[in-house]
Amino acid sequence: MAAAAASARDRRRRSRAPAGGAAHAVRIDDGEEQHLNPFLDAAPSASSRVQFRNMASCARWVEETGAAEVVESRGNLWLTTGVTRAGKLYYNIEEIGFLAERGALILLNDKDETIGIDGIYEKLAGGNYGCSWDTFQAYKHLKSLGYIVGRFGVPWTMKHGGTCDTIAPQMNILETDQSLNRVDGVSSDITKLLKKMQIDGISPSFEVYLPNSKFKKSSPGSPCFLLCLLRGKPPSRVELEAVENNFRGIPLKYCHVDNGRVSFLSFDEVTLPSLP
Amino acid sequence: MDLPGPRWKKGKDGKDFAALAAANPMSTIVAELQAKLRDSEAVATLAVHTRDAILEVGKDQAKLLNCASFGRAVGSAGAERQWFQLGPEEVFFLCHALKCVAVESENEARMGAPELWDLLASTSEQFPEMYRAYEHLRLKNWVVKSGLQYGAHFVAYRHHPALVHSEFAVIVVPEGKAFGTTCGCMQVWSELLCALRASGSVAKTLLVLTISTKSSELGSMDCLEQMIVHERTITRWIPQQCREQQDKSCREVSSNEDQEHTSRGVVFSYWGVVLSFTVLSSLLVYKLKF
Repeated sequence: MAAAAASARDRRRRSRAPAGGAAHAVRIDDGEEQHLNPFLDAAPSASSRVQFRNMASCARWVEETGAAEVVESRGNLWLTTGVTRAGKLYYNIEEIGFLAERGALILLNDKDETIGIDGIYEKLAGGNYGCSWDTFQAYKHLKSLGYIVGRFGVPWTMKHGGTCDTIAPQMNILETDQSLNRVDGVSSDITKLLKKMQIDGISPSFEVYLPNSKFKKSSPGSPCFLLCLLRGKPPSRVELEAVENNFRGIPLKYCHVDNGRVSFLSFDEVTLPSLP
Repeated sequence: MDLPGPRWKKGKDGKDFAALAAANPMSTIVAELQAKLRDSEAVATLAVHTRDAILEVGKDQAKLLNCASFGRAVGSAGAERQWFQLGPEEVFFLCHALKCVAVESENEARMGAPELWDLLASTSEQFPEMYRAYEHLRLKNWVVKSGLQYGAHFVAYRHHPALVHSEFAVIVVPEGKAFGTTCGCMQVWSELLCALRASGSVAKTLLVLTISTKSSELGSMDCLEQMIVHERTITRWIPQQCREQQDKSCREVSSNEDQEHTSRGVVFSYWGVVLSFTVLSSLLVYKLKF
């Protein structure tokens, strides 16, 4: 396994540029588009903006759970990334993508062969592991700004119930099997039933915490906001009210991704004052 | 959500017009206008082939129409008379809500509010929801003007446009089968993001007024009572700014704590000096005694 990890590190060093390019495909939606000028000799490459890590953790992909079990943890990224189950650390696919792009994670298959960034992107593009490509873009955008981002309704550790205690748990059980919201890898019958149910409308994808050096997975506190990804057409008033009624007390933000461009929006119910 | 505050314009003396607006509440101006127009039995004439109306008024009413920001002056007939052009929502509001203006067609036939409704609704499919939104804001004493130049249906001002910048770019979204083909607004991302970008670039908050109705028929004026207005703002959220504001607030908290520690230290040293002075003086007194 050590040999596989070493060869993976070499491969990672060789493939830094493309990974970096992909890492910054997301554009900040700040009014004006930012374009690197490809006609200038001194133009910095897209990859130069990515901060690469010297230390890489190692994780093994477990197809049944749709996540990776960390086999060798380096650095302190685990403090705000991954979920802990029965003393083991697991990374969801969006976390794997984010860390692998930054050279902070080597992903192995069950034969201890390295899964390259292309393999990770394939898994993300397939959208079969509780995270689509667009959802990954939103995750990456917030993570790169230092926000602490966890899957909605999935506890960081089994000691703690995440936001499940405070906000409508029925909305998030859909993906519990995929996202390790279970004990000893066994999903209950009720989970299987709920997975078959089709819940329409908008539901949160992530719970987001402000950058915080004192963040603890065992007691994360209430999230700063829940992030809902918007697909198809803009949400109607009825859809917005439905999701707001489910998650009273925690702010909701909405995200629209188009061709890699991430737009974050607030749809706030207001009452204009009656003026004198 | 905290709504952004008004951006008052400034006079020649450099002071903003907030005090002037406070001294002249819009509700008072509108009530005065209503009384004056009723007294003069004002009559507006609907223009041929357009949905606008022309209203001839005296000098006093003209001043009040200007102050209340209804219509726009289009010329004067001598010093005493003035002409105003009113939009369809404005003329119906003065006729139906304030009941202070009568309306006649180009052939001088008087119209009641129901007939006027039928006529305006027949010339524009969007009139019912547009009027309901206009009335909703006007009854809250907001000044409502056309938002066409900002890519919106209306713009809403806290007071007269000469005193304050408009706070909201207003988009009206009808909801439900009763509205038929007019329900297509804001249903594609390009439209929503375009409206958001346009309003943001002119420092306005995008206010979406969704009009829902229990009525299945919009043909008669009675449907107005069935229309419910839902207010919602759409804003662009920039995570970088949110994070920076958070950092700033954290820094403020820590600096406050530092100040507290410093002040505690100062207080502590002050009492230390007092105590030591007391001890020394008592020792001195003791020595002098013996």
